[in-house]
Amino acid sequence: MSTQPLSEALVRAALRVVVDPDLRKDIVSLGFVKDVRVDDGRVALTIELTTPACPVRDELRGQAERAIRALPGVSATDVRMTAVVPAAPSGTKFIPGVRNVVAIASGKGGVGKSTLSANLAAALARTGARVGLMDADVYGPSIPAMMGARDVPVDLGDRLQPVIRHGVKIISMGFFLKEGQAVVWRGPMLHKMVREFLGDVEWGELDYLLVDLPPGTGDIQLSLCQAIPLTGALIVSTPQDVAVDVARKAIAMFDKLNAPVLGMVENMSGYVCPHCGEHDDLFGTGGARRAAEKLHLPYLGEVPLASAVRERSDEGTPIVVADPTAPAALALTHIAELLAAQVSVRRLTLADTAPIVVNF
Amino acid sequence: MDAETARPREIARSGEADVAIEWADGHRSVYPARTLRLGCPCAECHDELTARPLIDAARVPEDVRPLGIEIVGNYALSIRWSDGHATGIYAFRSLREDCPCEQCTKTRRNATITAHRPR
Repeated sequence: MSTQPLSEALVRAALRVVVDPDLRKDIVSLGFVKDVRVDDGRVALTIELTTPACPVRDELRGQAERAIRALPGVSATDVRMTAVVPAAPSGTKFIPGVRNVVAIASGKGGVGKSTLSANLAAALARTGARVGLMDADVYGPSIPAMMGARDVPVDLGDRLQPVIRHGVKIISMGFFLKEGQAVVWRGPMLHKMVREFLGDVEWGELDYLLVDLPPGTGDIQLSLCQAIPLTGALIVSTPQDVAVDVARKAIAMFDKLNAPVLGMVENMSGYVCPHCGEHDDLFGTGGARRAAEKLHLPYLGEVPLASAVRERSDEGTPIVVADPTAPAALALTHIAELLAAQVSVRRLTLADTAPIVVNF
Repeated sequence: MDAETARPREIARSGEADVAIEWADGHRSVYPARTLRLGCPCAECHDELTARPLIDAARVPEDVRPLGIEIVGNYALSIRWSDGHATGIYAFRSLREDCPCEQCTKTRRNATITAHRPR
């Protein structure tokens, strides 16, 4: 048995057994362990994660506590959990204050992209993250209704104040249209809107800015990928083979534009009868999972087709806020956590997020 | 080509007017200014579907040179030229594929010959 007295070094050494499953490194090497204090047998420390929405937060804390308690002479532990979301490296052309921009995209329309965006944004905000939601679907802006945002953005002169609902800062073309009015724009106007929504909105400090894209591979997608280095995109699909095939086109587009695909989600995955609770695979199931496996992309999960999801959206309160313990809400919250984890993986492990030096 | 190979580490001037890219894998490409200008991929200079050149080489000054370079998103660069043109977006991937260095030119030529060899 070791007779070494209990010390910070000993505590740190013991914590090397705690490995972050996404980053595949121990929490000491990752620099997550902070403020280690040893006072007699009492050990206090802080674990600083890369997202407040960490899906394995409680497991990491439990493992850390067990590792410390196994040391001789420990009588009590106090493990605090905090989070600082990593930002783009300085030198990249990014929106000041906005740490990560994630596009929510699909090949086809009607797969529930906006419902998913609203719920993911609200779910991330519930974990304590600072979240923005940009509705880039000019043709059918539905985010204001789904988030119950009835105010209009305040004009601050050269900048716009986003509307805040359910803890999320929101901007949408829908705020500027009268009921029944339609946007009939060509590419250059769409390009201008994307740039203004990114650059002229007072986003402040954000950990995640989610961008709800219109379906397909057109002007808005291109403008977004040109305006800023996207952290990545989340691809939404329904389970049908045709939908998955079209989703692959969206993936090919993001690949061409060097915007990494952070994962795939299957929406409308099975129908849950509100009366008897029975599950019916209306559109089939597992198509998106199989596609993700084939394309070597992370699969972040599926959301069942439940009328409660739509009803809550119609009422203007996403189900993750209105009824957080409903099965669909739990699924959506878990997807939000996995997405946040993928953002961290992207930021911390891949070299192609390093800034490019231009000496010209 | 993977994203890593087609990722510049540094973009700088080479000589008076040429553009040099040092890639993440250490490879270095130097693009002569006028060739780069004549190869501008924008819709005004090359037909979007057929890639047929629409640009009139005779109207591009012999000493055309880049005045500034900017990164576009995460995948390309754009060049502001001395002849006033600025709409071209050069994808990193195509720049790397078209690297004019001797080694890359040879590899491309061999690949073409292999592809067309009668069986």
